[in-house]
Amino acid sequence: MPVPDADQSDETLAALAASGDGRAFELLVGRYEGRIYRLACRLTSETDAPDVLQDTFLQAYRHLGEFRGASRFGTWLYRIATNVCLMRRRAASRRPSESLESFLPRFDENGTHADTPETLSRMSHLDERLDRERLAERARAALDRLPETYREAFVLRDLEELPTAEVAETLGLEPAAVRQRVHRARLMLRGFLNDLAGRMP
Amino acid sequence: MSDLTCARGVDLLMDYLEGVLSVAVKESIDRHVGGCPRCLAFVASYRETPRVLRDATAEEIPADTKRRLEKFVRELSKRSPER
Repeated sequence: MPVPDADQSDETLAALAASGDGRAFELLVGRYEGRIYRLACRLTSETDAPDVLQDTFLQAYRHLGEFRGASRFGTWLYRIATNVCLMRRRAASRRPSESLESFLPRFDENGTHADTPETLSRMSHLDERLDRERLAERARAALDRLPETYREAFVLRDLEELPTAEVAETLGLEPAAVRQRVHRARLMLRGFLNDLAGRMP
Repeated sequence: MSDLTCARGVDLLMDYLEGVLSVAVKESIDRHVGGCPRCLAFVASYRETPRVLRDATAEEIPADTKRRLEKFVRELSKRSPER
């Protein structure tokens, strides 16, 4: 039986792990723990992320036998992690979040942008003008204020940078529906960031 | 379709960037945005939005979380994957 080593592909390690090689599974965890943690923070919260992490790898371990290599191991694991996050959020009684609707772009009766070019682009270089901690905190708060279905699509498509087709498959949606949700999320978040930049000294 | 409005352009922006629009619609957007400073400014900030949020939420796994997970996994992987 081959011995697991750090040069082997995810899929080889997954096959070894499925046949009972604990060390192979530990190597896979080492490869993905950082990415799954970040995903969990983006889809749930820093408070929930450690539990999401454990639950994801527990589920993955239990279902290793079902991983057939039809997709990449990373895709399969992301899907498990996403489901753990979504179940967690749906199980928690969530207070209705303060909507970001007010940050959508505004148009006059002719369909022309109601704001001037200057006010529309206040957010350029926002991350160079606002300190890192504060921007991170505002970003988390903004994600929390998105409608749940928009957040899922936006996080997977734009923050995790998965292809639209893969997001669609993960969320059980048509690609057009994913684009629609990501677009609405971008519009709200753009307005939010632009407004934030406008209120800075 | 040269009378495309800013509002219509905004509606189609994601589809435009994903390359799923017909050539005719794409060209009408190019013509409008090229001559509209408001849309130029809007598109720039729209495109910037994912990057700003991606950078702002790129959390590193804390050392103690990592340690606890790895301990959990070591215990777990002593057992067979099939329960």
